[in-house]
This record gives sequence, C-alpha cells and structure tokens, in this order.
Amino acid sequence: MTPPPAVVLLIEDDVPMRRFLRTALHAHAWRVIEAATAREGLAQAAGRNPDVILLDLGLPDGDGLEVAPRLRRSTRAPIIVISARGRERDKVAALDLGADDYLTKPFGVPELLARMRVALRHASRPADAPEAPVFEAGQVRVDLVRRRVFRAGDEVHLTPTEYKLLATMIRHAGRVATHRQLLEEVWGANYVGQTHYLRVYMAQLRHKLEPDPARPRLLATEPGVGYRLREG
Amino acid sequence: MERTREYARAAAILALATALALPFRGRINTIDVAMLYLLAVVAVATLSRRGPALLACVLAIAAFDYLFVPPYSTFDVHDADYLFTFGVMFVVALLMTGLTGRIREQAREASERQRRTAALYELDQELVGAVTQAEVVGIAERHIGRAGGGTARFVLTDREGAPPAEPSWPCDGMFESVPVRVAAAWVHQSGAVAGLGTAHCGEAEALVCPVRTAGRRFGVVALLPQPGGRLPSAEEAETVEALAGHTALVLERVALHEQHEAARAEVEAERLRTSLLSSLSHDLRTPLGTIEGAASSLLASSVPEEADGLSLEARRELADTILEESRRMTRLVSNLLDMVRVETGSLAVRKSWQPIEEVLGVTLIRLEEGLRDHPVEVHLPTGLPLVPIDEVLVEQVFVNLLENAARYTPPGTRLDVAAWRDEGAVVVEVADRGPGLPGGDEELVFRKFYRADGTPGGSAAGGAGLGLTICRGIVTAHGGRIWAEPRPGGGSAFRFTLPLDGGPPEPVPADPADA
Repeated sequence: MTPPPAVVLLIEDDVPMRRFLRTALHAHAWRVIEAATAREGLAQAAGRNPDVILLDLGLPDGDGLEVAPRLRRSTRAPIIVISARGRERDKVAALDLGADDYLTKPFGVPELLARMRVALRHASRPADAPEAPVFEAGQVRVDLVRRRVFRAGDEVHLTPTEYKLLATMIRHAGRVATHRQLLEEVWGANYVGQTHYLRVYMAQLRHKLEPDPARPRLLATEPGVGYRLREG
Repeated sequence: MERTREYARAAAILALATALALPFRGRINTIDVAMLYLLAVVAVATLSRRGPALLACVLAIAAFDYLFVPPYSTFDVHDADYLFTFGVMFVVALLMTGLTGRIREQAREASERQRRTAALYELDQELVGAVTQAEVVGIAERHIGRAGGGTARFVLTDREGAPPAEPSWPCDGMFESVPVRVAAAWVHQSGAVAGLGTAHCGEAEALVCPVRTAGRRFGVVALLPQPGGRLPSAEEAETVEALAGHTALVLERVALHEQHEAARAEVEAERLRTSLLSSLSHDLRTPLGTIEGAASSLLASSVPEEADGLSLEARRELADTILEESRRMTRLVSNLLDMVRVETGSLAVRKSWQPIEEVLGVTLIRLEEGLRDHPVEVHLPTGLPLVPIDEVLVEQVFVNLLENAARYTPPGTRLDVAAWRDEGAVVVEVADRGPGLPGGDEELVFRKFYRADGTPGGSAAGGAGLGLTICRGIVTAHGGRIWAEPRPGGGSAFRFTLPLDGGPPEPVPADPADA
C-alpha cells in the first residue's frame, strides 16, 4: 500500500498560475488544496491540516506579510512564499515573520519540488531530535559530533566563528537562512544589524571550502535575503 | 579743477618768460622779447584749450607792453609799430590754439575709439563661451557697467514668440524710478538712446540704450552711474550703446542656437519613441508568437487521434522553445521595468557593506548557462575593501555587462572581471578581447535603445538596447560613474566606480585563533 499523498495548500489569486501549479503538483503525486484569497487560505490551513503551504505575497485581500504570521499561529506546516523579483524586502520580512523559504517568480517545477521536499524534511524532524552526526555535500564533509571539517578528504581548520556559522547553515540545509537569522544564531540578538560580519565570515568560509570561491556552489548567496546551503 | 589748473599753468609760463627777459631789458632788442612772449603763447596754446591760450595772449601783450615797451611801467604805446606786433601775437595765438585743439581732439577721439574697440573685444572674448541668455546678460552687464562707470541692468522681452511690444518692466532697483521706466519704454519703442545726459527723458537717473538687431528687439539696458559719481561722458555713452548693440547680436545667436537645440531634442525624442515602439512590438511579439505556436502544436498533438503526430523528441523541442522564449520575455520585461524605475527616479538603493566578490559570485552562478561559451576570469586582489552597495542592483549591473560582452563577442572569447581600489572608491572592470566598440561609440552605447549594430528593433544579438542605460542609472544612484573605453591590446572595457562613502563599517571582531 502506498502512503497517502502529501497535501499542499496553494494560496494564489492568479488562475492560470494556480492551474499550472495544480497540474504540475498532481503529476508529482501531491494532493492540492486551493485558495484564491488570504481569508480562504487561513480557513483552509486551519481546517485541512496541509503538509506544506505555498503562499503568494501579492494577494488581493491581504498583504502576504500579514498572512504569514497568522498562518504560522494556526499551523506548523512549513510556508513557502512566492513573489516577484525586486521584492526582496517583502521576502525577508515574510521569512522573519514565520515563513520557511521562498521562491522567486518565474520559477521552474523542479526548483519548486526541491523546496517543498526540503520543507517537508525539516518539518518532519522534531525540533529536539538530534541532527545527523555527519553532513556531506559535494567535496565537503562535516563531522558534527567531533566538530571536524574535511574538504576532498583533507581536514580544513576553521575558527570557532566560522565553524559556528557553518553548523548553523547545516541546520538550515537546503532552506534559505536570512541575514538576521544567521546573525542572531551565530553572534547573538545584539548583532542583527552587523550584516558585514556575516558577509566577511561567509567569504572566509567560501575560501576555505569552495573549489572556486568566486562561484560558490555550496554556500550560495540569495541576494538581498541571505544564504542557502545547497545539498545537491 | 582741470580748467583752473590750465589757467594757472598759462599764467606760470608767462611769468617764466617775463622772468627770463626782464634782466636783459634795454640790452636786447624788444622784438626778441616779443618773440620770447610769442613762444610762450604758442607753448600755452599747444598744452591747453582756447581759454587759457587767450589768457596767455592777453597776459603776454600786457606784460610786453607794460615792462618792455618804452615808456616802461605804463601801458602807453608811443610807437605804432608795437600795435602791429600785438596784433600778430594775438593772431598767432588764435591760430595755434585752433590747430592744437584739433590735433588734441583727434588724439582723444582715437584713444576713445581704441578704448571702445578694446571694450568690445573684451566683451566678445567673454561672450564666446556663453550659451544661455542669462550667461550673456550677466557678462554684458558687467562689461557695460565697467565701460560706463556705473551699474548696468538688462530688461529683456520674453522669449521668441512673445509679441515684440512691451517687456514687463520690473519695478525694482534702478527701474523703481518712473522716469527710468518711461525712458525704457520709449527706447524700446523707438530704438534710440534716451535718459540721463540725452535729449530725450533727460530727467531719468539712468542712461537707457536699446538692445536690438536689425531683425529683432530684445529689450533695453539701463546704466545707472555710481552714486555720487560723475555722469557718463558722451564717449562713454557711445561705448555703452555700442556694447548694447553687440550684446543684441550675441543674444540673437544664443536664441537661434536654443531654437536649434530644441528642434534637435524634439527630433531625437521622436526617434526614440519610434524606436521604442518598434523595438517593443518586435521584442514582445516575437517570443509571444513562438510560445503560442509551440504551445498550440503541443496541444494539437495531445488529442488522441493525432497523438503520434509528434515524436517525443519534437514535443521536447517545442517545450524547450517555450521555456527559452518565456525566459527571453522575462528578461525584456524586467529590463523595461528597471528602466522605468531608473527613469522615474524610483530606484530605491539599500546599501550595505559587502565584498564585491559575493555579488560577482551570484552573477556568475546566475549566468552560468548564458556564459557557457565565454569563460570568465576573475581578478580580485586580496585586501579589497568592503563596498557600500545594494547587492540586488549591482548584480544587475554585472549581469548586463557580462551578457553584453557575451552577446557582442564571438564564442570562445574570454571575459575578464577585475576590481581594484582607487582613491575613495573601488573600480570594477568587465573587459573582453572582442571586436571592440566602433570608434566614438564609447558614450553612445549608454544611450537608451542604442544597439551596437545600429538597427533599432530586433538586432541579431537580441538586446533591447536598455542594459547599459540601466547600468548607468544604477551606478549613478550609487554615486559612481560608468564608462567604456578601448581595451589596450584589443577589445573593449567597461568600468564603473563604487564610492566608499558613508564611513566604513565597524571592523569585524577577530576570532580567537583556535577552537
């Protein structure tokens, strides 16, 4: 017997966009619940218990920015925000207000599915569950128990802050981590304005871990938003 | 003052002649004494005007008669010959003053002419560079004021198209005075000089000259003498009039130039509008047509009875085309939107300090596919400072520059990205070894809708001609500068500066060396 299909709540007012997403997601064995307005979306989220929520930021009856925290209060399902390029501030605000990840229009279906898989994985792991003891991506291997980092088999020496930043990124693996989240988790709440600390340490990490720091593949930049640790 | 001095000098010369001759009285011929006095009179006539010369003449005759013509110490004349001598002395004095007076007048006129020429020349020198009416008026007011020994002020009619009648006379400064305004109105109507020191409206405090050419009346210029100063001389008044006439010629030139520029801008704007329409309709319709065609083919092939009309490969090809073309439209639309933001000034720049390497990294990853055939080499020195930039916008600059480089250079051409610190800024360079820009196009390429091949509306390279204009808008919004130049050794180089202003960020705290 196959497991019941995962349920995605799609809150999007544009009909063609909904139609496209419904078709694509059906084809990949997702069950799709649709909502065209923020009100409807909030009701569905409370009543239907979706596994993932896709939230468009440009809804006619409500600012997506208000919807995200209200959704967060009624469900633990991960929220993936969808918005246009150039609205980085909105994305950051939504992420800092409880959304889990974002996608910029236009996007491809493979990208969307990858985001949803990551979101599901993070959601299915209880907050206090121990992390996998070893993280591996590309040439990089991190032993989280012994706090040792290897690149192509050779041990790489990281400073304490660099290691802390890397470990935080691993905790968010696959998901975007905003500047604010990273600063808060690595340096503390008093440092959320010091974005350049983060950028300088991220550059150092890249120079130690990336084969070509000018084209980072592991520690990707999300311009205007934050960083994403790519697993694939 | 001058006059009194001249009379005193005449008397002094006569006294000197007398003093020279007196000791020899009776020992030399009285005719020789007469000659000496004649010499003195001629001297005075040469040096002075008619009045002092006549005085000298009278004094000479009186002194000669009183002191040297017997009987001495009386004005009695016994010898009638002396009356003839007096007569000759008088006539000679008169002739001499007339002659020297004319010479002096000519010399004065010559120097006045020279002064006027010099004034005109100086005015001309300064007016060469003037391109606006305000500049011309400013310069001319200064020169006319200096030439007339006072303050000059222009009042001009409205621009071309306004009726040539009444300028709206201002009511401040020297135009506060009603007689000056009356004189100005009369001058503007008649084209003749009026006001202070002239026959017409002489009660006005200022001299008013017309500013007009044969074909056009521009207004008037008024000259107010320095408070308490002397009136402008007739010659100065003429100089002022000449300068005013000359200024009118320059104003005419400026007006024609402005008209010409306006017409040119209009033509250019029209060209841009046409170019925008043709490029928009082409660039938007082409991909839409392709998408529609490909999608309808796919749809037709999914009807059961025609299901095997298209091979799997063909369907894939169609889907691929749709994807490609949608991406092209996305690029175009975001370019247009960026352009609107740049043009309307609604480009919000949110700067934060960051390494240029990070923005460049994002760009290189994003363009990976588009730059498949153009290897990019990155040259960033260690120790390059953080720069205060909006990463989303600067990423767009990199994207546009690199896409352009890839578009206009043959496949396989290497692209170089470099950055270095220079004074208070970081300079970034995107350079290629392609064919380079056509000479003289280094500035043109930043113009809206400009395309290197010069064809508006759908070049082979497929750009809308907006990328570099957007780059300039973004860099300018950062307080920087962007330009293109030929690359030494071939190819072209685009450079932009990112100023390091706003105070550097707090230094990043050092990490303890070991965990």
